[in-house]
Formats: sequence, structure tokens, C-alpha cells
Amino acid sequence: MSPAIQALEAKNLKKIYIRGAERIVAVDDVSLTIGKGEFVSFIGPSGSGKTTLINLLGCLDNATSGSLTLGTETIFASDKCMSESELTRIRRRVFGYIFQKFYLVPTLTVMENVLLPFAFFKKAEAPADPTPILRFLGLDQRVNHRPSELSGGEMQRVAIARALVNKPEILLADEPTGNLDSKRSGEIGEVLRSLNRREGLTILLVTHNPMLAKVADRTITLIDGKIAK
Amino acid sequence: MKTKISIYEIAFKNLLRKKTRTLLTILGIGLSAWVLTSLFGFNQGYESALNKDIDNMGFQVLLTAKGCPYEAATLMLKGGTGLRYMQESVFADILKNKEVEKITPMLMQAVFDPNKGESGGISAYLGVDPATYPAMKPYLNFKQGAWFTDPLAHEAVLGYEAAELEQREVGDKILVPEKNIEYKVVGIVTRSGTQDDGTIFIPIQTLQKDFGQEGKVTAVGIKVWKDANTTELENKLYELPDVQVVSMAQVKTTIMSLVSTAKVMVFSIALIAILIAMLGVINTILMSVFERFQEIGIIKSMGAMPWDVFRMIWTETVILCTLGGMVGIGFSFALAKLTDLLIRRLLPYTPTGSLVIVNGKLALLTLGIVLVIGLLAGIYPAWKAARVRPLESIRSEGE
Repeated sequence: MSPAIQALEAKNLKKIYIRGAERIVAVDDVSLTIGKGEFVSFIGPSGSGKTTLINLLGCLDNATSGSLTLGTETIFASDKCMSESELTRIRRRVFGYIFQKFYLVPTLTVMENVLLPFAFFKKAEAPADPTPILRFLGLDQRVNHRPSELSGGEMQRVAIARALVNKPEILLADEPTGNLDSKRSGEIGEVLRSLNRREGLTILLVTHNPMLAKVADRTITLIDGKIAK
Repeated sequence: MKTKISIYEIAFKNLLRKKTRTLLTILGIGLSAWVLTSLFGFNQGYESALNKDIDNMGFQVLLTAKGCPYEAATLMLKGGTGLRYMQESVFADILKNKEVEKITPMLMQAVFDPNKGESGGISAYLGVDPATYPAMKPYLNFKQGAWFTDPLAHEAVLGYEAAELEQREVGDKILVPEKNIEYKVVGIVTRSGTQDDGTIFIPIQTLQKDFGQEGKVTAVGIKVWKDANTTELENKLYELPDVQVVSMAQVKTTIMSLVSTAKVMVFSIALIAILIAMLGVINTILMSVFERFQEIGIIKSMGAMPWDVFRMIWTETVILCTLGGMVGIGFSFALAKLTDLLIRRLLPYTPTGSLVIVNGKLALLTLGIVLVIGLLAGIYPAWKAARVRPLESIRSEGE
């Protein structure tokens, strides 16, 4: 599938970690283009570099070499590397993140957890009231509950609502169903699918689960840091 | 429906995660704040109580024969011996000075009483002039009876505690051991909180006669005119032969310098308590930062800048310290009497009246100090949290 408008373009991305005497090539010469509104899943065995790649694409880290362009803005290239503060500014404008662990604040209610990003930054186009998002995610009856009163699936949906509240352009989901059973995983897959279809949200999904990967428009398989042919 | 949340609300709710830990930290800060407020209150209260005691003596300068103990406690320590006398002719020399408003002569006498305590003790009698002494002690009120009926009467007026100790009421008699003289109790004064509470007053002329000390006195209390130069008077009195001048201002300075040692000790304790509380705060917040390492990373991935995270963690410290400070101030108001008792046990000499005066101004000062300490204690944990990189926390989740 060739997207009409480009959201992300990575060229020859490489990420190398040095651990003592060991040199680990986590992402090795990866080039790819993600179109606006595209839903892409990344699969591959453990240690294949999925998370490292998505961290680079999500501006959570700088690459060792290669370049990344977000729309028309160069995030990093051979002659450019952003500071943590610059990356933060881009992250809060463009991305929403979901992780395997939900990281909900246990002393805050569902609504307060969803509102958490607003304490630090609120985009002009962000909704004044996140109730429609909670309703869409089936959480409208749970707004005053604390995370300890929710199921795993509900907690992940709260984490999704939190990631969506600032109207991100791209949603990064790293193993969002890693802590859930197959039924709850299917539900989360449906939610992501629906978000992509209804809202036109660009989604990058990292998963071990081939069934979940199928909800995406495109699946990229990584092996040893490289895109499998 | 709630549509926003502030960093301050998040910080407050973060502290509710580990309620016991938070409570113990608040209590630790509270105890330090209590010590601090009490110390400030003591600084203020002690001096004011001492001033009140000195004012209650009714005279600003005391003239005694050289080497004569000038207050009952010293006399007791010397076993009732060591009294020195001045002749009444000294009155005229004193009254010549323009600074003197009035004087009152006193004669202290002491005898060994075999019935006092388990193995006997010293009973002291203070001969006072009925014409001048009551006028200098207007605060002395009578629980029963009144002052002597005649300057030569064999009568006694008992201080509140002396009456309790001797178990005497008006109309009863007291017997002077060794001399076998009886005095009729004609008055018992109410508690004044001064040395007078433990005194047995006898008309000075009667005491002089009964103890064979006619024309002699042990001390002369001198009341100085308001605004008169006391130092100048003292210098002139020093020129009189064989007398010592006891200035109440000097007494105050001596006592204050004695107490300053105890104050330094108390201040050191307060300082240690504050340092411990500060370390407690750093430990609590740092633990909380480490426990929330990944969560802080996620917050930063949501768009929180380092300053946002710093502010959030710093706010937690400030909340802890504010609550702790308030608890401590509450303690210091509620337990002022207990603090007073503790200090009385610690110090060699304490004046009567409240030693610890805690007021709103002191409470605010303590709160301010605790807050500054809190802000300082919060810098390191907040800086540590602000430095968390989202990637580190996410990576620690493992692929």
C-alpha cells in the first residue's frame, strides 16, 4: 500500500548500543515510509529490534546513523541530532504512546488518569472534555473508579484514552496486549482498528501476537534489526 | 464532570500511595517543627518570665553587707550560716541619693529545725518593715488575714508554700526552734509565683529583738525612680563601706548567661532533629521517585518537560513539609505545658511564669523555616526525577 501523504520516513536507520566490549546493532539499516492514516504493525522474535525501531520512529531516542523525517521536519540526520527537550516538544505535539504496562497512577481516578497529560501540556485542538473518548472506549461508566477497581483490558483502554486525549497525529503501541488474555487482546485490537478507521489515526503497533498484527493495514517483520524481505 | 487536573493535585495524590510512609515523614517533620517552635517560644518566654520575676521583687537594687548571701537558696546551701550585717545608719546614706524613691530594710535569720524533713533542716525568717515592705510588693494578696497589727507584734505572715509546708492557718502559732519563741500567724498570702511563696515574714523590729540583732539588717531593697540612672546609683552605692550592691539587671545577665549554655544545647538538639527530618524527607521522596521511575518516564513521554517533573516532585516535598510544619505547630500549642515542664527539668534555674510562649508570629516563622528546609530537601529528588529519560524507563520494561 502506498500512502498518499507521508507521516514518517526513515532512511538507513541504525542504532548501535555499546555494552562493555560488546557492540549490539539493535536496528540495522532500516528504511521505511509510513503514510498518514496508515496502520502498521511490527512483528518479530524477541530481540529483533522492534521496540528500538519504534522508539526511534517515536522520537524517544536518537539514531546512531540514518535519518528520520516527520512530515517535512527532519528529526535527525547525519548532521542533526535533537536534544531531549526538543524531542519532548515533538513528542507532545505529534505522538501518543501505549505500552505493555499501563502505568496508571493508582491514586487517581480513570478520568484523572486520562486528564494527566493536560497537567503538563494541552494542545489547542485537544478536546475540552475527554468524555467522548471514554465513551468510545466503553469507559464512560468507570470514570470515577480507581485503576485497582478495573480489569486489565479496562486499564489498557484507560491508557489508550490517556494517549489519545491530546489528539496525537501518530499513536505508538508497544506490546499493548502483552499483559492481556486473548479475548482482551482482541478487544484492544478492535479499538485500535476502529481508531484508525474512524479517526484516521496513524498507528504503529509492535506485537508478538500474529493475530493482533493482522488488524493492521501492513505488517513489517523484523529479524536481527533488519526488515525481513 | 472534571476536565482538568493540576500538577499540585497530582503531587498531593502521589503522597497518598504510601500512606504510612507519608504519615511517618509528616510526623518526623512535625516533631522537628515542635522542637523548633518550642525553642523559639522558650527564647521569648524565658526572658519575659525572668523580667517579670525581677519586676515582682519590687526593687531594682539590693544592698547587702559584703559577703552576705542575698537570697534564700544560697542561705540554705550555706546551712543558714554566713549572714553578715549592716547598721541601720546606712539608710541615711542610701536615701541621700536622688535616684532612690524608697527603701525597705530586711533582716534574714535562720535556725536549725530538727523537726524539718527526715534529719532536720534550716528554717529561715525574713524580717520586713510593715510600713514599707507591703508598699513595694503590691501584688501580694492575702488568702487569709492581713499584714502585722503592730511593728513590734509577735506575729508572722506566711507565704503560700510556707503555710502549706508548716500546715498553719491564720490564728495558729509557729515555734522558732533554738529560740523557743512563738509567732502567731496573722496572714497567709496567695501564691505569687515568686520567692515570697516560701517565706515566713516577721516584723523586722521583733526579729531584731528576738535574735539579738537590734539596729542591724542583712539587706536593703532600693526602689529607684522611674527613668533614674540605676548604673550611676550603683556606682555611688559601691562607695559605701563594706556593702555589696546586687543589681537585678546584673542578676538577670548572670542567669541569662547560665541559661545560654542550656539554650545552645536545646538549639543543637533542634538542629539535629531538623537535619534528621530533612534526611527523612529526602529519603521518602527519593524512594518514591525510584518506585515511580517508569511512571515518570511515561509522564515525560506524554510531553512533560524536566521542569514539570521537577515541580511535581518539589511540590510533593513542599506538601509534606507544610503538613509536617502544621502538625508541629499544633503540637507546640497543645503541648506547651509539657515543653515547659521538660525545660524546667533541664535548666538549673527557671523563673516562674510561662517559660515557653508560642504565638502566631512564631508559628509562621517555624512554618517558613520548615518550608525552606523542605524546598532544599526536595531539590535532589526532584532533580533526579527531572533527569529521567523516557527511553530509560521504557527500555527497563524490556523487549
